[in-house]
Amino acid sequence: MGMRAYIIRRLLLLIPTIIGVTLLIFSVVQVLSPEQRAALYITSEQQADDIDAIIEKYHLRDPVYIQYFVWITQVLQGNLGYNVKSPSGRVLQNIINRAPATIELTIIAAPVIILSGIALGVTSAVHRDKLIDHVTRVTSIIGWSFPSFWLGILLLAIFYAALGWVGPGRLNPDASVFIITPPFTRYTKLNTIDGLLNGQLWITVDALKHLILPVASLTVQSIALIVRVMRSSMLEALTKGYIVSARAKGLGQKEVINKHARRNALIPVVTLAGMLSAGLLTGVVITETIFSIPGLGSYAAHMALPPPDIAGVLGFTLFTGVLFVIVNLIVDVAYAYIDPRIRLG
Amino acid sequence: MEKTIESGDLLDVKDLYVNFYTYAGVVEAIDGVSLLLKQGETLGLVGETGCGKSVTSLSIIVLVPPPGTIEKGDILLNAGDKAINLLKQNDRTLMNIRGKDISMVFQDPRGALNPVYTVTQQVGEALLLHRREEMCKRVLQNLERDIPEANTLKRFIYNCEKKIYEKMMNKPKSPSLRTLSKIPIINRYQGRLRNEIRKEVVELLRIMKIADPERVVDMYPHELSGGMAQRVVIAMALSCNPRLLLADEPTTNLDVTIQAQILLLIRELKEKMKSSILYVTHDLGVVAEICDRVAVMYAGNVVEVADTFTIFKKPSHPYTQDLLAAIPRPGKEFKSIRGEVPALISPPKGCRYHPRCSKAMPTCALVKPQVAEIEKGHLVMCHLYKR
Repeated sequence: MGMRAYIIRRLLLLIPTIIGVTLLIFSVVQVLSPEQRAALYITSEQQADDIDAIIEKYHLRDPVYIQYFVWITQVLQGNLGYNVKSPSGRVLQNIINRAPATIELTIIAAPVIILSGIALGVTSAVHRDKLIDHVTRVTSIIGWSFPSFWLGILLLAIFYAALGWVGPGRLNPDASVFIITPPFTRYTKLNTIDGLLNGQLWITVDALKHLILPVASLTVQSIALIVRVMRSSMLEALTKGYIVSARAKGLGQKEVINKHARRNALIPVVTLAGMLSAGLLTGVVITETIFSIPGLGSYAAHMALPPPDIAGVLGFTLFTGVLFVIVNLIVDVAYAYIDPRIRLG
Repeated sequence: MEKTIESGDLLDVKDLYVNFYTYAGVVEAIDGVSLLLKQGETLGLVGETGCGKSVTSLSIIVLVPPPGTIEKGDILLNAGDKAINLLKQNDRTLMNIRGKDISMVFQDPRGALNPVYTVTQQVGEALLLHRREEMCKRVLQNLERDIPEANTLKRFIYNCEKKIYEKMMNKPKSPSLRTLSKIPIINRYQGRLRNEIRKEVVELLRIMKIADPERVVDMYPHELSGGMAQRVVIAMALSCNPRLLLADEPTTNLDVTIQAQILLLIRELKEKMKSSILYVTHDLGVVAEICDRVAVMYAGNVVEVADTFTIFKKPSHPYTQDLLAAIPRPGKEFKSIRGEVPALISPPKGCRYHPRCSKAMPTCALVKPQVAEIEKGHLVMCHLYKR
């Protein structure tokens, strides 16, 4: 009951938040001159000769509110502008093309981070000051101090250069050729799932193999972070009165931990997990670059390098902003689900 | 050696020692406490903050929080024909005793309720643990009633549910049941049990005199007032008709009017349920109100035990006398006890009260006094009285 009202209220709040995000992005772009802003809509070299026509067409010299209105109309129609740099073409299309690689990485990395982080944190807290706790804590400090780019290079050096088990990219060369040749159909563009859908298990296996190293280098630091937060919040929950009262009811250790302590301890971890997942989705620039994965992160990095591609940077920023707003919504709903007190306010 | 307990006694705590191993040193929180609780009586456990009242009650339910350790002693619980030594049982047995035979009400009712679960969920948990069979029986009775009136399809479903509940009664831990309870749609059969539990919780809340129990059962702890929360905690403790209720300062955090209501409620429920109560408090007024007998604790020792009337009329241990004199009364000079409660990390030698005692003698500082029975049922631990 309270939950439904909360979700509706939260969804309605989404609208002004997203408008706010677009306003912010729009005002940053106002720093540029109309000519520079016109680059957003240039699709060919011929058009470059007639910039005034574009400025005229998209009202780039008109008052700010008209410009915003014109721009937001274009955005709502799916026109985020055109990339001049390769991959050239519509920005939206390029983002959509790049997304599957990042999504594939994220849907594996995020659960690994969240589940193992929580499990290790709980174990560590429950066995406080025992051997397993010390091991987890020391490992998480070490993990936390590993920069992911360094770990990525190290992993590549070991498993690619030295052992030759698995290389960078999303697939082996022969597999990459196979998936673009008919009759292989790319239903989802997620190689792991497409492999299954086409009945080609080896594609899935190969794709998974290529995901191991980037996922490892992405997750180590985040897991370490979640472990530390989960452990301390679990330790705090375990000192609460309701833990003693649950035991006094006759509940066993397992139920007390899993039902009473963990749910309360999860609250701070939910925020963290949401932010980490959003960060993964918007592309982990360095990891994608190191493992030459054609995802959103490497796209954004490429667009931002001088000379910058304004349309690309703008499109990516907009995409990131909207994504973070949505992730925040999910986090808030998860909060309210876990903690009834939040449904009130 | 088999320890025995007399049939009229419910709980016999013998020579209990509890230490807390802190970084600063070993705190001897409980130093040889012996207590006897008869069937159906209310024993008040009084003393200053930090004298070990709460630790004593937590020891009885074997939940002394680390770094506390029960060093030695026996806690015998009358279990019909034999005595169970609570300190020698494994976790499984203890889990069966907690909540069912012995339950506890805590000082801070809000803290004792988990903020993320509703009242039904928390009170129902105890019911599911200890009164599962009874609840299943009720569900089966409902099914028996419904089956003849149902149409063919429904009759089939009801019959399936009946089989499941019969199994639940006989073999609640069977793996097939556990699998069944995890399959969506099929596990809807649990709804009947849930309904039954909810009804029972409403009933319990009604006994606790909570207004509008139908609404309160679905509330979360943050929606309850302090008095209501304490009633819910008491409902939780009494849900399985325990033989012994440990009440650890249940009214300390409530305001005075609510305090009076809760005291009245506890007294009424005690009559109704025939439970014994160990009532821990520092409030002598409350003791006079509801206790049959009183044990006075000081710095980890029980220094005097007597019935309530005797404690107030003829206090014999100097500490009890000083404690009673320290109650502020109109028209009387207020006397506080000199000195401070000793830190139990290095308790005074001999009688632990001697540095503050106005009647201290040379031996008091050297020899720990023995318990003397000065009248029948009136025990004093003081050198002034000879055995």
